[in-house]
Amino acid sequence: MSFHPAMDYGRGRHQSARALPEEGEPFVYTAENRATLDGILAHYPPDRRKSAVIAALYLVQRQQGHVTRQAMRHVAEVIGCTPEEVEEVVSFYTMFYTRPVGRRVIQVCRTLSCALMGAERVTEALTETLGVRPGETDAAGEFTLVEVECLGACDRAPVIGVDDHWHECQRPEDVRALIDGLRTKGAAALTGCHLRVAGDTE
Amino acid sequence: MDTVTLTIDGRQVTVEKGKSVLEAAIAHGVDVPYYCYHPGLGVDGSCRVCIVKIEKMGKLQTACSTTCTEGMVVTTASPEVVAARASVFEFLLANHPLDCPVCDKGGECPLQDFSYTFGPERSRMEFPRREFDGAGVKADVDFGPTLLLNRNRCILCTRCVRFMRDVEGDAQIGITDRGYGSEISTFEEQGVISLLSGNLMDVCPVGAITTRDYRFRSRPWDNAQAVDTICTLCEKGCNTTAWLKAKPEWAKGARLVRMTPRLNPDVNGYWMCDIGRFDYHWVEGDRRVLQPHIRRGTSNDAAPWADALVAVKDAVDAAGGPASTFFYVSAHASLEELYVLRQIAAGAGGLTLAWRYREKPQPANTKFRIPSVDAPNVRGARDLGFDVGDPGQPADLSRMKAAVDAGQVKVLYVMDSGPDGSIGDVDWILAARQAGKIQTLIVHAVLHTALAEAADILLPASAFVEKDATYTNMDGRVQAASRVIPPPGDAVEDWQILVKLGVVFGSNLSFASSAAIREAIARDFASVPGYAGIPSLAFSRPVPAKTWLQGSNPSERWKWDFMFQDLPPVKFGEDFGPLPRADVIPLKEVK
Ligand code: SF4
Ligand code: SF4
Ligand code: FES
Ligand code: FES
Repeated sequence: MSFHPAMDYGRGRHQSARALPEEGEPFVYTAENRATLDGILAHYPPDRRKSAVIAALYLVQRQQGHVTRQAMRHVAEVIGCTPEEVEEVVSFYTMFYTRPVGRRVIQVCRTLSCALMGAERVTEALTETLGVRPGETDAAGEFTLVEVECLGACDRAPVIGVDDHWHECQRPEDVRALIDGLRTKGAAALTGCHLRVAGDTE
Repeated sequence: MDTVTLTIDGRQVTVEKGKSVLEAAIAHGVDVPYYCYHPGLGVDGSCRVCIVKIEKMGKLQTACSTTCTEGMVVTTASPEVVAARASVFEFLLANHPLDCPVCDKGGECPLQDFSYTFGPERSRMEFPRREFDGAGVKADVDFGPTLLLNRNRCILCTRCVRFMRDVEGDAQIGITDRGYGSEISTFEEQGVISLLSGNLMDVCPVGAITTRDYRFRSRPWDNAQAVDTICTLCEKGCNTTAWLKAKPEWAKGARLVRMTPRLNPDVNGYWMCDIGRFDYHWVEGDRRVLQPHIRRGTSNDAAPWADALVAVKDAVDAAGGPASTFFYVSAHASLEELYVLRQIAAGAGGLTLAWRYREKPQPANTKFRIPSVDAPNVRGARDLGFDVGDPGQPADLSRMKAAVDAGQVKVLYVMDSGPDGSIGDVDWILAARQAGKIQTLIVHAVLHTALAEAADILLPASAFVEKDATYTNMDGRVQAASRVIPPPGDAVEDWQILVKLGVVFGSNLSFASSAAIREAIARDFASVPGYAGIPSLAFSRPVPAKTWLQGSNPSERWKWDFMFQDLPPVKFGEDFGPLPRADVIPLKEVK
């Protein structure tokens, strides 16, 4: 066997237990999103642009709802890192989705404080009410249910996040009311975060 | 040098300012285990096995990420440390498959060694291990063209991730998911595509990353001998170690089982490239030239050396003497060979050095650049007064080609003792020969290449691991490449062939050994930096691996002591053959 650079370094694939993120459609930022990202990138020294990866990924999600492999490649190119480095971040954080999600994403915290206060019961109640298990989206494409790690409001456990908003002290028996509220009033049905400083938009 | 003095386990040690506690401990032979720290990759602080107690610090500290300060008092073996360390090992082994009997790393595995030494006696973990094997999924997978990855064995030390990011310069490996779900992965599972990939096997402290080349070929305790040498496949001159497998006499196959890099901070650091690491199979392969061959009419038969030398003499005489003989020499020729060549080619028509020039596909910001010149001694040739053009450039063949075109080259002597292709393009020689522009083609080669096949006289030479020879790398560093195995068949060391040829060309050279040539080089080129010391360069002999390991890279050294502590005395070392004497080729018959 020869290992010269001339040799055909064929790309044999290894298989993983994880499902690969979707390939998706070719992705580029809209002009508006690109302008926003360029503004953010300007905060970083030229060799540290990849620090903006999280902001870049939020913009991808704002644009197409979830992060595809095409989008990861594009992000890597724009911020100057490898697609693998982008995928590490995407797979680490629960707020990035690699599959299409519903119009609202309900994130139930499952870390210690919330778990002790019955977060699993909340998830079960949500599963029953919505008819989906964690990681799934309901048939109407309205709600996606996911379990996440600590949302940072442990003293008001169990905590739920819906899109970018907090909802605290959720009890399993009130899940039905929460869903109905979300359907009729949207984010206004949520308690918000007790830590919010006046003037902050969560 | 600013130093600080601290106490480790009651011993006063003095180290350079800025060193970590772990480095201080390693340097002074105090046993502290480590996985994520690697001297060439720096500190990560993720594996936690290096914890030690430092006075005045509340909690146990990771030695790798704590800088030594004056008067620091460090304890590495107090009951508190021992217990905490043992539980770190318990967690490291919680998911590790313990398949050591079939693992390539078994026997030279820091996880084994450290676990035996510092780990708990038994694990309290009773739940099933995390396993990647399952429906449609395998733990043991392709990891690019040269590597395999066994994800069950990985302990997530991130050495491979950091190697790719910091040394290779292209972060192809990452950790996806998090916490319990973390795994080593590449984007789209495409594996590692890199010319430095073999180093990942070295940095991986467990058997998670192994190379296709070495997998299942040997076990560490079978590689009973090691020889320090130099890679000659390009002009970088990486310091390497060749490992020899102990084999019973009846066993077939190669003795050379692997090449590993050897620390030289000024040349290659801890690393070597995949070309040097994997491209050695030709040395003991089927294509070696084992005997001289002489073409007579349509037959091309093996012949004894004496006949071949006579044939060379006849060819040169028939062409009207040395003036119409030209030399075309691969820059794989060592300083000794070039020195002799310079004298015998003095009366010849001309001499041109050739090499292959290939730009290697590497990331722009890599820390380990592989030069484009695929020959070890272009700089040495320049130092010895050969015209080789500007440094780091393709070989200039125009003069040789013009001479061939003009029909001046009656006899062409090609010296090519590197692997196939390393001399560069030879198609033009074959074409000129076809067109009848060259009367006699003499090829001095190690392999039956296309050129060797076309030769009228073929002389079997030695590969770089079959002779003691010196080379000057691109930075002007003179290095010694040692004889690891004897040349096969009737092949002899190249300098011997050239000394014999001297007779044909009328220069009476009386060198009886390559050492004598080095003496002469040192005398004639004393003004070239480094050359005066050439005779004192040390050549390694095959040594028991234990001896080698004890003298190796200090930061990895003590782990090897474990590996060999119970080994029965090494029983072989018989047949490396005596070093060649000048009269290996019977000269008497050359008239
Ligand atoms: S594959 Fe080896 S080097 Fe890479 S993280 Fe796992 S154990 Fe460490
Ligand atoms: S960089 Fe050159 S000298 Fe070093 S291992 Fe590779 S081919 Fe050999
Ligand atoms: S544990 Fe749930 S918010 Fe912190
Ligand atoms: S070697 Fe210190 S934490 Fe890994």
